[in-house]
Amino acid sequence: MYAPLLTNRYLTSRIIPLIAAGAVTLCVALVIVVVSVMTGFLDMVRGSGKTLIGDVVVSRSISGIPYYEEFIRDVEALPQAEAASPIVETFGLMQMPYGTGDGGSQIETVQVWGIDPASLDRVADYHSKLYWTKPSPELAKTLAPDDPRLDPMYQRDAEGLALKTRDGQPGLVLGIEISPFNRRTADGTYRTEGDFGTQDAGHFMPNTSGATLTLVPVSDRGSLGGEKKRRFAIVNELQSGVYQIDAQRVLAPLDVVQEMLRLDKAPIVSPTEVDDNGRPKVIGESPARATTIVIKAKPGVSAIALRDAVEVAYKDFALRVAADPSRKVKVPLRAIVATWEERLADLIGPVEKERELMRTLFSIVYVVCAALVLAIFWAIVQEKTRDIGILRAVGASRKGVLWIFLRYGMMIGVVGSALGVLLAWAIISRINDIHAMLGTPAALWLKILAWSAVAGAVAMTVRGARRASALQTVLWLFGTLGLAGVATALLFHRGFLIWDPSVYYFSRIPSEMDWVTAGTTVIGGIIFSIVGASIPAAHAADTDPVQSLRYE
Amino acid sequence: MLLAAEHVKKTYHLGRVSVPVLRDASISVREGEWVTIVGSSGSGKSTLLHLLGGLDRADKESGPVLFAGEDLRKFDARRENRYRNHDVGFVFQFYHLLPELTVLENAMLPALVGLSRWRWYSTRSALRARAAELLATCGLSHRLEHRPAELSGGERQRVAITRALINKPRVLLADEPTGNLDIHTGSGILDLLAERHREGLTTVMVTHDAAVAARAQRQVRIVDGCVV
Ligand SMILES: Nc1ncnc2c1ncn2[C@@H]1O[C@H](COP(=O)(O)OP(=O)(O)OP(=O)(O)O)[C@@H](O)[C@H]1O
Ligand SMILES: [Mg+2]
Repeated sequence: MYAPLLTNRYLTSRIIPLIAAGAVTLCVALVIVVVSVMTGFLDMVRGSGKTLIGDVVVSRSISGIPYYEEFIRDVEALPQAEAASPIVETFGLMQMPYGTGDGGSQIETVQVWGIDPASLDRVADYHSKLYWTKPSPELAKTLAPDDPRLDPMYQRDAEGLALKTRDGQPGLVLGIEISPFNRRTADGTYRTEGDFGTQDAGHFMPNTSGATLTLVPVSDRGSLGGEKKRRFAIVNELQSGVYQIDAQRVLAPLDVVQEMLRLDKAPIVSPTEVDDNGRPKVIGESPARATTIVIKAKPGVSAIALRDAVEVAYKDFALRVAADPSRKVKVPLRAIVATWEERLADLIGPVEKERELMRTLFSIVYVVCAALVLAIFWAIVQEKTRDIGILRAVGASRKGVLWIFLRYGMMIGVVGSALGVLLAWAIISRINDIHAMLGTPAALWLKILAWSAVAGAVAMTVRGARRASALQTVLWLFGTLGLAGVATALLFHRGFLIWDPSVYYFSRIPSEMDWVTAGTTVIGGIIFSIVGASIPAAHAADTDPVQSLRYE
Repeated sequence: MLLAAEHVKKTYHLGRVSVPVLRDASISVREGEWVTIVGSSGSGKSTLLHLLGGLDRADKESGPVLFAGEDLRKFDARRENRYRNHDVGFVFQFYHLLPELTVLENAMLPALVGLSRWRWYSTRSALRARAAELLATCGLSHRLEHRPAELSGGERQRVAITRALINKPRVLLADEPTGNLDIHTGSGILDLLAERHREGLTTVMVTHDAAVAARAQRQVRIVDGCVV
């Protein structure tokens, strides 16, 4: 019966438990904030690599996969697959709609993807990667008032989604970093730079004057066909968040790229026979081909499970075509079937390394915090050794004594950790505001407030000295110095952005709380509080009372 | 014989040096008796009293401490706790009150320790009354809600004595209960103990003051770690 009484008294009659709870709060909040923000970044980096490729990728370069529409139907019938979309991948040259300034024309080497926008949108949320679209209400709030995307004229969702100009001509979507005149600004948006005053003057990208795309078809045997050139309007731009993609990728309509690469449907003619008109005789039809099929998994299906299913489906498909004598073209028996992670191994590898490094750093933060909590409780309970001796001397059991401090540690641990989660949540959900505040010079009222606080502290120091109170004088003196430091810093603070979106790729700091980490950290906080309190208590409970009573 | 020590030995080990404090100490206390232990400072009086109270352990080769014929060394943890809680009351040389508890709570502490939660709910008002009454006989009725830090040395010692008596022990062990007090306050405390003794409480008291020792029925002296 004495245990609850003593726990309550220990908790309420001194300031030390408050300090301990404060320490637990700060430690828990620190761990949660650091882990949440850092894993948020890593997930953003890792996830952004996944741009436009779905969960599983089937690829067969150069010659491509014939009868791919049939294969896509097979795949979409799989219980693991949600949607699939064909792509033709190749390299090409882009002649930009403006010159280099010395008479030459600006040429960029690009990676061209012929896509079917409608099905790609189902597989990989193509729409959300387009830059010139109608901003969502939340995004619209954060945009600068002169951002062109707020003007309906530049909201080119339809054109981007169809890869067509308003009058129905095929158009291109360019990675947003391809045009060197697109400059990323500090708020993460893009502005067009140039010698021209008006925005539509050539450098500005959704651009009808158009650019010339050059592709070179490659035959099965690796020889080059004659190059194909075509002029297209640029109907939108692509912002994936991955520099390698945004600086190289050009999206074009699938049928146009197939045609330019001679991967489209074509008659097969006999080398020897001729028809009635004296032309080579048509003996069959060669189907259109796609070099890549991207596939999205059903919710809850892992990429690996989908990959295994697709591998089987591909083999079945190839064998079925081979067994069909009416088809003149065979499907290659082998194609590369890979999950998006396997496919992007070179991009993800460094991120995974970074994640390991982060884990190590987190563990160090965690261990330091745990040691701090342990040490605080150790010191508090150590100081109570004499009390434990008294309790044991009047007949309290070891268990009873332990129970007092177990409760003590648990109460502080629970309250401290709960406050820690709240604090962490407050910081994380406002981290972008806090960051923005750091990025601007301090407001005048804040400076005045800080300096008045300094003046007040000076007055209190003088008062303390005149009353001959050493403690007050010392406390207010330190207070004055601290406040003066803050006030001076505010005075000279010109604003700095730790996270400058014009340098880093993401425009916002991740502000998602990692609840799993929060949960484990809270459990850790409580456990370390209990362990820190109960080990010295157990030690004191085991000592003969006389020895504990000697403790000074 | 209510309480007895037979040829007990106690040696403290300080690193490699061993300090024999009690070499061969025997003492026996009959029911209802008041015995004082005297001896010079550092002679081992407190050590002997701690052994009698079950608060410390004698050497391995030592003789036994017997309470009503039972060997303290054979007690299990439960019986040991009950012995400290219920069979003996201990008054320390330096009060040893819990600073976070009030005077009343300190005085009731052994009762709180000894009771289960249910027994506590059914008996708490009776207990409170008994503690308040005991404190009142020591002249502390106006101090019940104070903290030990707010009391004088004599007042603290009276709280400690009340604590020792709250569970109606069969033996009171008091280690220099008047050692830190002036003569007047000290004799007040001794009067209190004398009264309890008259009511039949067996008392063993340590002192180095001859005048204090004279109030007991019997004195034993410790010299060189042996009782003479
Ligand atoms: N835990 C210990 N470790 C080492 N030596 C100890 C310990 N406890 C007691 N001693 C020593 O044992 C001796 C006897 O101590 P004890 O407290 O019994 O003396 P005392 O007779 O009560 O003295 P006083 O009249 O000053 O209270 C002293 O010399 C003391 O230094
Ligand atoms: Mg002593």
